[in-house]
Order: sequence, then C-alpha cells, then structure tokens
Amino acid sequence: MRKIFLSLFILSTSLMFSQASVCGQFHRKYCTPDSKREKSEWQYNAQSKSGLFNQGMTSKIRCVIYKGMDYRINVCCETTFGDKLNYKIFDAKTNELLYDNAAAENEPMFEFQSTATRQLIIEVSVPTGSTEKDKHKPMDAACVGLLIEHKVTDKQGFSQY
Amino acid sequence: MKRKYLLIAPLAVSLTLVSCGGDKTEGEEELANVDSAKTEAPTAQVTETFFQVPSPGEMLTFIKMVGGKNNKNVSFLNSPDNQKNYSDTKAKALNFGIYSCDLSYCSIFEIGSEALKYFKVVKQLGDQIGVSSAIKPEVLKRLEGNLGNPDSLSVITDDVYFSSFETLENSQQGPTLSLVVAGGWIESLFIATNLSKYDAKSPVVERLADQKYTLDNLIEFLKKYESDANVASVLTQFNELQAEFNKIGEKDAAAASASDQSKKILGGGKELVLSAEQYKVIVDKIKSIRNSYTLTK
Repeated sequence: MRKIFLSLFILSTSLMFSQASVCGQFHRKYCTPDSKREKSEWQYNAQSKSGLFNQGMTSKIRCVIYKGMDYRINVCCETTFGDKLNYKIFDAKTNELLYDNAAAENEPMFEFQSTATRQLIIEVSVPTGSTEKDKHKPMDAACVGLLIEHKVTDKQGFSQY
Repeated sequence: MKRKYLLIAPLAVSLTLVSCGGDKTEGEEELANVDSAKTEAPTAQVTETFFQVPSPGEMLTFIKMVGGKNNKNVSFLNSPDNQKNYSDTKAKALNFGIYSCDLSYCSIFEIGSEALKYFKVVKQLGDQIGVSSAIKPEVLKRLEGNLGNPDSLSVITDDVYFSSFETLENSQQGPTLSLVVAGGWIESLFIATNLSKYDAKSPVVERLADQKYTLDNLIEFLKKYESDANVASVLTQFNELQAEFNKIGEKDAAAASASDQSKKILGGGKELVLSAEQYKVIVDKIKSIRNSYTLTK
C-alpha cells in the first residue's frame, strides 16, 4: 500500500512539472484579440493565468480590479475544446454572481469597469462534451488561458488632465 | 496543439497542486484518499482557487498617470550598491523583487540611465536565484537601444519581471517566487508613499487604501509556502500590515452614473476611507518592512 501511494505521488509530482511548463504563458500567445495585435491602449494585466484543463474541470482565480480602470477579459483554449468555455465572475466578498458568459452565448470576451475596487472570483469551466461533435475523448487535456487587460477609464466631460 | 496525457487519478490530484497560490481544493484534500480517487472518472470536476497579485508596474503606471509625469526622483530607491549586502536566499529573493520594481519605476518615469544600473543588479541577483534563463544578455542591448523610448523600456522591463515569474513558477520554486512577489509589492507601495502626501481625495492615497485587497491575495499566496521559514517570517510582517489595513473604514460605493450606461458596470461594492492617522501608521509600517528587507534606514 505504501509503495502504491509512493508511486502515485511520484507520478503526480512528475505530472505537476510537465503541466506547469506546458501552458505557461498560453494566454499571452493565444488569447490576445486580433484587434489587439496592433498597437492598443489595453495593457497586459499580471493577474492573467493559463492552466491545463480536462473536460468537466473548473478552476478559479481571485483577482483585484481597481475603480477608475476599464478591464477586458478574454478566455481561450486549444482547439480540442471547441469554443464552449464558460466563465463566471463573482464578487469575492459577497459571492454575488456579476456576470456569466453563458448568458451571452459563451462569448469569450467581456469588457467592464467597476464602481469600486474589489476582489473578484473568476471561475472558468470546460464543459463535458465541449467539442463540436462530442467525439472528443474524455481523457484529453488542453491549455486554457484567461487573459486580463486593463486601461485607464476615459474621462468624460471636461478635464484638467 | 492537441495533447494527450495519461489522465489517471493522480492527475486530478496534481492538477490541484500546480501553480502558485492554489488554495486547498476538493482534489487536494483527497491526497490521502488516493485509492478511492482512482475509481473516479478522469473528467471529475476539480475546483481550485489561485490568488493573483497585480504587478508593481501597474501601481507605478497609475501614479505617473495621475500626476507624476515629471517626477525623476530616485533618492528613495534601493541603491544598486546595496546588492553586495544580500547574501542569503531570503534577502536575494526579496531584493530581486525590490530591484525589479525599481527597474520598472525607472523605465516608467523615463530615467533611462538609472534603468541600466538597475537592470544590471536585477540580472546579477536573478542569476543567483535561478532565473538567469529569463534575463538574457541581449535584453541589456535592447534596453540600451531604447533609453529614449519609455514605452519600449517599460515593455522590456515588464518582460524581465514576467519571464522571471514564469521561470520560477515552472521550476516549482514557489517559496522564492512568493518572496519575489512580496518584495516587488512592498517596494511599489514604498515608492507610492514617497511620491504622495496625504489627501483624502488623492487618487494615489485611494489606490494605497485599495492595496488592502491586494494584500489579502498576497497573504493567501504566501500561505501556500508558509512551511518555508523565510516565507513564514515575511508572512508575519504582512499579517501585521494587514491588521492596519483592516482598520480602514468603508462606505457604499457611488452608483454608476447615467453617462456610464454605455458600458458594462459592475455596481455595488465598498469604497475605503483612509484617515490621515491610518495613513501615517500604514506608511510607517510599509517603510519599516521594506527597510528590513533592504537593510537600510
């Protein structure tokens, strides 16, 4: 029993190493909107993250967004998962659901601003059977990226700056 | 791009442990029950939370934007000459974060000659903490070639920070990574407090108060590695700082104005109200922690 546990632990540890390096900066390479490839005022936000997912898996990040800034979220994945990624945004303090891209036909991109600085939970899910014809084998894994960008909210009206 | 893996039960376990800042998860607590986990479908849902921290550059860019465009003051940065004083792992990692933030500051505020000095010290410390592959010698040439171009300088120095982060993350150096992030964050606050004076309506003071939330995330991130004595000592200091941030008052945030209706607004939430007394206590605490890392007064 002890040997089995040890073997499984070593295997899981080795997988950890491979997964950490597999997806790395996937979001920076593949989640950038086409329009962003040209010069843009949107700036990369260090709270972005990539990870290796399999179907049916959900993962969350807790991030901080500031008042007075516009944010743009874009979720993308390797083609093996199709385009049916789901993500939800919750207020981390109240658990209030603030946005669900399922209500927007799984639109990957979302632009928003907040009336106050706050912590958000962004929950990303890869639905089971997410590929187009459900031919996908359940044991496949693929990278999912969550790109967060920000810019200063445009001032409205006259300003001294 | 499609990759296939042998996704047996340990993968579900390992997925929960990958990357920094992961909270305890449904999968993680199953480590001791791995036998039963073997029978679960490989697509079983795994829920995990990662605690993210904005980069120091985000704070510095904000300060510049709200009125610090002409600032060229470098007197409060950690002098590159101090690098020789950092001999142990903890000091090297913390000051790598601090110097990376100083490098970012020099780039953002267009102090190119100082940026070169800070790049060299970041490179030297980076080699010592295991991120030499992230800071290649050609980066220095790119820096030298863009001294008059602040936008390019910022991009280059951001790349140094993010590449170092990624290298530490991929090589599973979690404790070192957490110390680097802690050092960079405290330095960004130290710089902010050196560039601003208390004014309840100052955007910089508001942003400083908002660091309460970032500190929450950072502490959760550090907790992941608190079994490391170096991280544990930093965590103790940050817990003390958090206690001061937790004293900041709150009020309901203003409702979205009618003119904002064209874009999606996440309403509600609380605004923090930082008093002059609280500001002073927090600034002193930040200075004390930061100087304990730089070994300066």
